[in-house]
Parts: sequence; C-alpha cells; structure tokens
Amino acid sequence: MRGLGAFARFEVVRLLGSWKFLAITVGFPVIFYMLFLRNESAGSIVDGAVPWRVYLMVSMCSFGALVAALNAGGSRLSTERASGWARQLRVTPIPAWSYVTTKVAASMLVVLPVVVLVELVGMAFGGVHLAALSWFELTGLLWVTALPFAILGIFVGFMVNADTAYPVVTALMFVLGYFGGLFNPVSHMPHVLQTTARFLPSFHQTSIGLALLDGRGFGIEDALVLVAYAAVLGGAIGWKHRIEEARGIA
Amino acid sequence: MSAMIGPSKTCRTMTTVHSDTVPDAGGSSLCSDAVDREPALRFDGVVRRYGDRVALDHLTLHVARGETVALLGPNGAGKSTTISLFLGLLRHDAGSVQVLGMSPRQAVADGRVGAMLQTGSGSGLPPGVRVATALQMVRQLYRRPASFDLTVERAGIGSLLSRPTHRLSGGQAQRVRFALAIAGDPELVFLDEPTAAMDVESRRSFWRMMRQFGREGRTIVFATHHMQEADEIADRVVVINHGQVVANGPGATLKAAVAVRQLRFVTGHPDEDLLDRLEGVTDVVVRGTGVALNSLDADATIRALVHSGVAFRDLEVTGAGLEDAFVALTGGDRTPDGGGTT
Repeated sequence: MRGLGAFARFEVVRLLGSWKFLAITVGFPVIFYMLFLRNESAGSIVDGAVPWRVYLMVSMCSFGALVAALNAGGSRLSTERASGWARQLRVTPIPAWSYVTTKVAASMLVVLPVVVLVELVGMAFGGVHLAALSWFELTGLLWVTALPFAILGIFVGFMVNADTAYPVVTALMFVLGYFGGLFNPVSHMPHVLQTTARFLPSFHQTSIGLALLDGRGFGIEDALVLVAYAAVLGGAIGWKHRIEEARGIA
Repeated sequence: MSAMIGPSKTCRTMTTVHSDTVPDAGGSSLCSDAVDREPALRFDGVVRRYGDRVALDHLTLHVARGETVALLGPNGAGKSTTISLFLGLLRHDAGSVQVLGMSPRQAVADGRVGAMLQTGSGSGLPPGVRVATALQMVRQLYRRPASFDLTVERAGIGSLLSRPTHRLSGGQAQRVRFALAIAGDPELVFLDEPTAAMDVESRRSFWRMMRQFGREGRTIVFATHHMQEADEIADRVVVINHGQVVANGPGATLKAAVAVRQLRFVTGHPDEDLLDRLEGVTDVVVRGTGVALNSLDADATIRALVHSGVAFRDLEVTGAGLEDAFVALTGGDRTPDGGGTT
C-alpha cells in the first residue's frame, strides 16, 4: 500500500498542472451553463416538480463531472500507456491493480471541485437557492455518482490509442450530454429519445440529483443503473488488463 | 550492500585478452567461484510460449550477486522475454524462475529490483511533470529509497531536474529513466536495450554510470544486440538465440571460442598430417583439392604454409571478429521479429 498516496497526489498534480485539461474541464460546463441560462424556458417548471434553473444547475454539474472525468482518462491515459510509463510503474513496488484504481481516484478528486464550481455559478448567476444541508447532500451525491464517468474515462484510455481517444471522448461528452438530457430536459425531447435516455448514465446521474431536490428522495433505479455502468466498465478494464498482463505488455 | 562486491569482478580482466591469444582454461575459471555463490537470479529450464511460438526453450541461466551480465542475441532471440519473466511481467509456462531467492513479483513488490524497459517510440516517462517531481514520486513508492541527491548524482541528471519530462532528448530521457530505475536503491537492475536511443557519446557516459553502479555491488543484467557493448561492460556474456543459451562466458572467452579464423585454399594433393601440424591450426577439413583450415593464429599459419612449400592458390581468410563470433554462435540468423519485443 506504501506509496499509493504519493502516486495519487502525483496524478492529481499532473492533471491540475495541465492547462489544456483545466481549460476544457472548467470552460465547457461554465460556458455551457452561462449560455443555457439565457434560454427562454428559464423560470419554467421541469417535469412538474423542479424549477428549470435548478434542473439546469444539476445537469451542468453532471456535465462538468462528465467532462472532467472523461478528459482525466481518455487520451491522456492512452498516451501515457503507449509511452511505456504505465509499464514502468509495474516494476515498482506498487501492486498491479493500483494503477487503475489510482487513476479512477484521481479522476474523482478532480471531479469534486468542478461540481462545486458549477454550484457556485448556480448560486451566483443561476438563481438557485437551496438550504445549506441540501447543498451539502447534493454535492456529495453528484460527486459519488460521477464514479461511472471516472471509470468510463479510464475505460476509453485503456481501449483505444491516443489519436482515437480524443474524438471518442469528445463524442461521448456530447452524446451523453445531449441524449442524457443534460442540455435540455428529457421530458422536452421526442418520445423515442426519452426511452433511450433511460439507458444512459448521464441521465441517471442528473436524475438522482433532481430526485434529491424535488422530494422524491433517493433514486434507487438511478443508483442501480449507475452501479451497473460502473461494474460493467470496471469489469471490462479488468478484462483488458488481464489480457495485457498475460502478454506481458501491461 | 558494498560487501557484495564479488570476485566475479576479476572476470573483467578477461576481456582485455586479444583475440589472437588463446585464453587458458584457468583464465575462464576465474568466474567460477562467483557462479558457485547463491545466485541473485535463477532460471531453470524455463519455457515460455506465445501461442504456438516458443520464445524460451528450456532456458537455464544463473546470475551471481554482484555480477554484470549481458544478454546478447538478435531481435526475437528471447532477451526481452527473459527480462520480463525475471520482473514478473510475464509468467512462464514451465521451469522455475527465482529472483533473490523469491518469486519475481515478490522481489519487485519488496522494492529490491529496478528496471529500464524497452519503450518503443515512447519516452517511458510520465508526461506533464518535471523530472524532479517524477523522481520524487517514484522514490516514495519504495520502502528504502536511495536519497534523492544520490540518485540524481548516480544518473547524472542534476541539470535536468527542472525540465518537463516531454522536453528531453532521447539520451536525456534515457538517463532519467535510469534514475527512476535505481530510485529505490535496488540490489538488482535489469536494462532492456538501454542505449537503443542514444548517440555514441551518450552511450559512453551511460555505461560509465552503469559501471560505477555495478562497482557498488549491484547485480546488473542488460540485454543488447551490440556485441561491443556486451563485451566491454559485462563480466559475462550470455548469448541467446531461439530461446536457448548458445554460449555463456566472459566476453573474451566467447570471442576466443570463435576467434578461430578459417583459411580456405586449393592445392593439388592435400597432406592432412602436414597441414594439421602447421602453426595455429586446430582443425583440417579436406574436400577433394579444397582445404579448410581453422586457425587460432591466421598470420602464423599462413607463414608456416608458405614455408612448408605446399603449392596453394585462391587463399581466402574468413572470420572472426566479435561480430563473426556472434554470427557463428547464433547460426548467423537474425530473425526479423518485429523489433525485439520478445
């Protein structure tokens, strides 16, 4: 276990030291949030329960978490795997599994400030007013439920090379963002898209946050879908890892 | 650790023997006492397959503590596979692999082993940090790392510490990778084609560093396909081909084993006994009027041949530099095998 703290800190320092990563991770959710705030439907009620501006803040938190997590993994990861650095770590005392878990942990650590940042924008410009406890609960819930995104980012970095990872990450950001109802409530979308949204983790992450705020409480179905995503993607990474290990390239 | 400086170091003197001198049996046994000690590395009858292809074919190899051993062989011979197995990056299909008396993974987990692996086109370094940050982090992965300053000095990277890892030349990156490999103060270091990306000057200074590190009693195993590197740096050269050890001994011994030159000529009535008595000749092969003599001293043999009055024509002398020794040992075949990933 020794050194894992140092490794995790190192990973976070590298992420936060990357201007490109910071620009994308901070820029996308904040700029999108500001743009969507000018939408004419601001002030309306979403799904008969949540004010639109609350929906927007929660969905932009999801989007921020998604962008941060995908970019923390993605092409950064495939680049460093290709560079031989990942393999070099295998001949240090840290256990083999810790590479992936530390990566996921580091992604999660950079997701938290992004969620908080979007909430601050919501407080300052988005007209969102919540009780202190609700802010606290919402932040924690959105952070924890970003785990499938963090694993997805690592998954992309494991599965494709750096050149491919970049467009894949961009595509995932917008596909999961749009079809998951982060840019426009799912209830405002055509029926078929309302159905497909239910299969996407982004929809359920926003949904679990909204459920907390509109009094529905804890969204069990949302949680199950998110756990399933985390498990399947995590399993796929483990499978790829084992194959590479058998071939001696991990 | 310094108590481990082994008698194997005396093997170094062997490599200064000229190729025209026959090393006596006593010379090559200088190393035997080192080999008798408890080995740092033990490879017994190891088999490793990649699908149908046999990469290591019952390979047996022991390395004594404090020894510097070169694994020499063409691409695809099994050098990298051997190193990967010693590091626990690969599992073997049969036989046994022990590192410092334990399993390779245990030795790595205990931080007693360091390695510079092949990185292909990549730098092998973490992107987006300064050299000092990377080194500091890697040190913290070990229970008993060498001090930061000592590692910097050993690897000669003092001037590179504030550089980002992606702004290094090939040779500089290699030095930084060496620093990371020895950051944990390992007893045992593996280097897989460490000088692949280096120019001549970087190579030279790299091996200077390496030798110094070896003198501190470390066991060093490196793979190379540069005969000269193997010969100059290692106490012992293990030539691997087709996953088997084809030769094993101090560089000079190997060289001598094949420093035999071959004289071919044509003569009317070859007298085998006469030819066999010529100075330096070790072997005579006669086929019709064609004669092939193996000689340990081609010059002396030619002189003797002229004096003997044998009428010969079409004299041809072939062999046997290190390159030829290598070619002779490996059957002259350099398998084009995807750039040495095995």
